[in-house]
Amino acid sequence: MARPVRRGGYGWLIAPAVGVLLVFFAYPVFWLLLRSATDPHWGMQNFVTVFERPVYLRVLWNTVAISGMTTLFCLLIGYPLAYTMANSSERVRRLLVFVVLIPFWTSLLVRTFAWMVLLQKQGLINEVLVGIGLLERPVALIYNRLGVLVGMVQILLPFMVFPLYAVLIRIDGSFTAAAATLGATPVRNFVRVYLPLSLPGVLTGSTLVFIISLGYFITPALLGGAGDLMIAQMIERQIAHFGNWGLAGALAVLLLVLTVLLLAAMHRLVGVRTVWER
Amino acid sequence: MNNAKFRTMVESGEPVWDVVDVTIEFLYNGVTSDLFEKLDLSKINTDRLSPIYVHDYGIADIAWSYNIGYNTEAFKEGEHPKSWADVFDLEKFPGTRTLRDRVAPMMEIALMADGVGMNEVYDVLATDDGVERAFAKLDTIKDSTVFWETNSQSQQLFTDGEVSCGVILNGRAFDAAQKGGPVAIEWNQNIQSVDYLVIPRGSKNIEVAHGLIDEMTLAENQAKLANMIAYSPTNPDAFAMIDAEIAPWLSTSPENAEKGMLINAAFWEERLATLAEKWEAWKLS
Repeated sequence: MARPVRRGGYGWLIAPAVGVLLVFFAYPVFWLLLRSATDPHWGMQNFVTVFERPVYLRVLWNTVAISGMTTLFCLLIGYPLAYTMANSSERVRRLLVFVVLIPFWTSLLVRTFAWMVLLQKQGLINEVLVGIGLLERPVALIYNRLGVLVGMVQILLPFMVFPLYAVLIRIDGSFTAAAATLGATPVRNFVRVYLPLSLPGVLTGSTLVFIISLGYFITPALLGGAGDLMIAQMIERQIAHFGNWGLAGALAVLLLVLTVLLLAAMHRLVGVRTVWER
Repeated sequence: MNNAKFRTMVESGEPVWDVVDVTIEFLYNGVTSDLFEKLDLSKINTDRLSPIYVHDYGIADIAWSYNIGYNTEAFKEGEHPKSWADVFDLEKFPGTRTLRDRVAPMMEIALMADGVGMNEVYDVLATDDGVERAFAKLDTIKDSTVFWETNSQSQQLFTDGEVSCGVILNGRAFDAAQKGGPVAIEWNQNIQSVDYLVIPRGSKNIEVAHGLIDEMTLAENQAKLANMIAYSPTNPDAFAMIDAEIAPWLSTSPENAEKGMLINAAFWEERLATLAEKWEAWKLS
């Protein structure tokens, strides 16, 4: 038998990772956040601007609305998928895991450009629909909200499916079996027994997708239209077009606060550990 | 090149570039903000340039224009949009539009589309009513418009047939057409602009930078560039070395220049910040 691994005393192993994070992540983020209150001078002026001008509130609303829709569609598509994965033969499960994982292995940028090729006026989808006579002329599938949602849902689906799957696979089949013997119809059985048991997965998956969506940049920038500007794009614009670091910092603070609040709420409701460990 | 990045670079005191090509609006802006080294004009042979292209802080290297671009599969030549008013006419010229995602010079274009003459554009735009009028005109095509951020995007939109007409730079349309794209441009109401070579303040290689600017105004070098992307030389001797088929694409060819107007850099230096914010708000409204 090998010697048992001594617990503790290995904390220094994470030092390089912590160091890298401090230098390349914590410091610049802190610096940008600081500029929200110091650029061009000390004070809350940047935050006042954000809440006074309708344009920034509109961007904030866009961000929440797009993230919410993305989460909803991911859930609607992801739940049945995770259910099938959790309740099928090993072969089917492996195939589904593979299919869901493919997007993970492809670069975000490549996938976004692929959607541009598919969705544009002379793209595959429009050409086929026009070709078989379903459409008279190509419709706008891209450079609007629809394009943003299609791209984001496809890219973020794994973040919904895997937390869900992790919960669903552990649901004890005897519960639903017992409910069925006691006379519950399949619908009632699902709503009263299965769904409540799966809620931690639903909440974790939804929070993950929602939070990642909040900071999304490339996909809405490439697939969206004029009205689909999200907060991350606005931050980039403030810096790149206007050199307004203070306002960019204020928007970043807003994004950070929103994210932390959501994470905290999720932690209170489910606790991240109940999903990933047991 | 983006302006804020340039500013940050100069403010850091360690500019990574020694010579930068900037638009005329940014030249004016940067001089006010003290972002450039004053040029030592004795180190650059300015005699070979027209005096309008020589500035204390920059030497013009190319002249170019914003044009009405159209997809040749959507509209035949002769039946294509011939004015900005046509570009804003969704009934006569159906299809998706494309505009540059910047307030300049979309304001000018909107006013021209609304019937303002080229000579009066900036007078009208200087008033609040004029700005309102421009945005009101833009409203009429907003839902049918894709906005481009970079020049390559504009090229791609036309090449893919995603848009039927809109704004494109003359050189970009030339490049797209060269590569077989169904793109052509109209010269009526084109908006002319000029790029300048500047040296960022704090450059460590000022001597060499002057040498590069001098080199870039040599006739043969400017002709090479023009043959590649149809941006006009600022050294008149270069014209003789430009391929004959490029001439119709050049913004400074007399027949093209007289159909257009010059962008008013002084106007934009003053109004860019306020109007840019209005533009963002308008796009989201």
